[in-house]
Amino acid sequence: MALHADFGASTVAERAPLNENGSVRIAPRLVAWCLALAAVALITGGLLLDRIAAAEHVSGSGVVWLYPFLLAAVSAPALVGAVIAAQRPGGPIGWILVLGSLSLAAVLAATPYAWVALDAHPGALPGGSWAALVSSLWPTFFAWPVAVAFVFPDGRLPSRRWRPYAIFAAGAFAVLLVVLVMADQLEKPFSDVTNPFPLRVPDGLGFVRLPAWLSVFASLFVGAGAARVRYKRSAGIERLQMLWLAYAALLIPLGIAGFLLWGLVVGEPGGAVLGFLLAMESAVALAVGIAVTRYRLYEIDRLLNRTLVYAAVTASLGLLYAIVSLLAGVAAGQGSTWVTAVAVLVVAAAFAPLRLRVQAAVDWRFDRQRYDGLRRVSAFVDDVREGRREPEEVGDVIAAALRDPSAELLFRLPESELYSDGLAGIVVEPPADGRTVTRVEHRGREIALLRHDPALLDRPDLLRSVLAAASLAIEIARLRVEVRLQLAEVEASRARVVQAGYEERRRLERDLHDGAQQRLVSLGIVLRRLQRSLPREAQILGPPLDAAVDEVGRAIDDLRRIAAGVRPPRLDEGLAAALADLVRALPVPVELEATAERLPPQIEAAAYFVVCEAVTNAVKHASPSQITVDAAVANGALTLEIADDGIGGATVSAGTGLIGLTDRVEAQGGTFSLTSPAGGGTTIKVEIPCGS
Amino acid sequence: MRIVIAEDTVLLREGLAGLLEDAGHEVVARVGDAEALLAVVAEHEPDLAVVDVRMPPDYQDEGMRAAAEIRRAHPATAVLVLSQHIETRHALELVATGGGFGYLLKQRVLDVDDFLDAARRVCDGGSALDPEVVATLISPTPKRDALGELTPREREVLTVMAEGRTNAAIAKRLWLTERTVEAHVRSILGKLGLPISGDDHRRVLAVLTYLRASGA
Repeated sequence: MALHADFGASTVAERAPLNENGSVRIAPRLVAWCLALAAVALITGGLLLDRIAAAEHVSGSGVVWLYPFLLAAVSAPALVGAVIAAQRPGGPIGWILVLGSLSLAAVLAATPYAWVALDAHPGALPGGSWAALVSSLWPTFFAWPVAVAFVFPDGRLPSRRWRPYAIFAAGAFAVLLVVLVMADQLEKPFSDVTNPFPLRVPDGLGFVRLPAWLSVFASLFVGAGAARVRYKRSAGIERLQMLWLAYAALLIPLGIAGFLLWGLVVGEPGGAVLGFLLAMESAVALAVGIAVTRYRLYEIDRLLNRTLVYAAVTASLGLLYAIVSLLAGVAAGQGSTWVTAVAVLVVAAAFAPLRLRVQAAVDWRFDRQRYDGLRRVSAFVDDVREGRREPEEVGDVIAAALRDPSAELLFRLPESELYSDGLAGIVVEPPADGRTVTRVEHRGREIALLRHDPALLDRPDLLRSVLAAASLAIEIARLRVEVRLQLAEVEASRARVVQAGYEERRRLERDLHDGAQQRLVSLGIVLRRLQRSLPREAQILGPPLDAAVDEVGRAIDDLRRIAAGVRPPRLDEGLAAALADLVRALPVPVELEATAERLPPQIEAAAYFVVCEAVTNAVKHASPSQITVDAAVANGALTLEIADDGIGGATVSAGTGLIGLTDRVEAQGGTFSLTSPAGGGTTIKVEIPCGS
Repeated sequence: MRIVIAEDTVLLREGLAGLLEDAGHEVVARVGDAEALLAVVAEHEPDLAVVDVRMPPDYQDEGMRAAAEIRRAHPATAVLVLSQHIETRHALELVATGGGFGYLLKQRVLDVDDFLDAARRVCDGGSALDPEVVATLISPTPKRDALGELTPREREVLTVMAEGRTNAAIAKRLWLTERTVEAHVRSILGKLGLPISGDDHRRVLAVLTYLRASGA
């Protein structure tokens, strides 16, 4: 009746916190601890009675190695239950554990009591046959684990639909207990003791015994099914809690498989099975305790995953070893050292691939998210290696693998404290926005930060394995981002240098025109006034003063030419005006077709000097008879074409001034092309984006 | 003539004033920037303003803009703009919109008689255009086939005519008789398809308008 008692207790306990009276709040804690201590006291007393029975050599008693298992099987759920019940008296789980442990302790202690009362010292203790009756109620052993499986971890059934299943399980236990209590014959080892209970199962209902047993076993699986449904639906903390429970529960089938193997190889396991089941009982209780109170204590995902993988690998390798030994033994004769050597070699060779396969299979079966995530990342890394995708996409791939759309990868830039989002945007300090930040390291150095949903902290294994799988791509992307940023910086600084050059030319031109030239003109005026004010008798000074003023005029002309070379002032009037002046001064006929459209000053300057250098180069080296210059604006770009009919064979590298020309063009983000076959003239084509 | 001078370089300003005063003109005001220039022009209503193109505060084309303003607001005041370097567009616009405007490179001042002649011409409602500006106009381009039809001598005549000079001055400069010059001028105007006019100044305007419309 343990199950019913558990649920009843929970109903009582749930009411307690509603009462604001402090003394009432204390009560459930006190009750929980008292019940737990009672259970421990009961099993301790049982063990002492077993010593007494053993002293009289009662059959079945005195299996000392089993004592720790018995003690643990009772005290683990008792103490865990008391802690949980004391922490949250409103929930049933603590009470299920406490009352479960108490009923288990009663059943376990009843056996030695009956031994002492009936066999060792007959008559010394009262109620020996009643104790034998209690002792035969051992299916209570399964009651609390099934109850926990139904309501873990929130104390409620997974859904309303599970109510009939829970009633079925509770009913199965109840019917079985009634059947056992009213049985004609008690369970082993007291089959010879007369049942003291006055009522018997009516003759017509004797068949109920077998279905009752089957129902109890069925309810074990139904409970497991409830936990499985819960796990499938769970997320975050609840998922971790379910994993802890699953981990402990998982040991049971593994253990049973182990005993089957043992039975095949060594022989009947005997009392070891009972020891193992007791150990499992305590393991489940401890798992519940950890799940409720310290679910982040260990990385349960990893623990579970590794346990499954290594158990499966070990079993497979053992099987493989056995098969190979058998086959090799048949071939080479029993006892040959070759047999062992071959078997070991085969097992060693199989280990690595087998482990990978099993790992993938376990991931696929038990952690689809991790399996899919890792596959996605490794497919991406393959694509990057094959050049099908850009490593910078790694952030999106990680976000998809983690199923966290808010995840964002920031690359740590080498040699700096800065982070970049990969699109050349630089973030100095990732702003705090409710997302959690995880550092990504590669060979001990930080290579990136991942900002992600805090819920992912409940999946540290997923996070770590996805990031580890992606780390090479992250490292590559990070270096590429760095190179790109540096290139952008170099390009910007070249543009600045060229721009500064244009500004310097403008300043120099101003200085020449407004400074030196003005002084020369002033000087000329002074000389002229002097000349004009000469008295008649000093007219002889006229001619040399004329010569001096002419010299001043020539100096001014020189200065204007120099200033125009530095920067033609007519550039202020536009490219067409400046180019018209330029070509007029050339010794070769030039056909000029220039756009009258005004462009940004730095582009006009760049275009002017490009044409200037190109035609100067042509005149100097190509001996052309005709040059054509074409400057036009189309599709937001200024295109320049400078063609001559000279000797051709020009190259950019031959110190012809064309290298400076490419610098000017590229500093404005433009393109440059040179066609110059020997004897076929030279054509230079330039395109400069001008955003108009 | 009553003259105001706007020039930010003091040495040059005083030199200019000296030259003009030596020639018997009266310099009624000397200023260093465009704002002050407009103020003294409004105050004195002079016959002529000699204006530097680049002046404070920005050293761009303050003088040119002030010249346009003076021509608009004080038609009686002629303007002679002096520039350190050639800038054609604004100069041509001002010359072509009517007489009383001249545009010369600063160094032309050193050819004192020519300079004083230009000042006088502008003051009388004529025009003066620097030979270098004219040179940029009279170079044949695909758009200006008509210029290619001129004889070399006709082109020389056209060049001097475009500077704003009278037939007499052209004849003197090119060592020709006035009659020959007149014949050349008729021929030029005919080839360019311009109306023949006895008025020297109208003729210059027509030529400049033609040149400006067809290029530069």
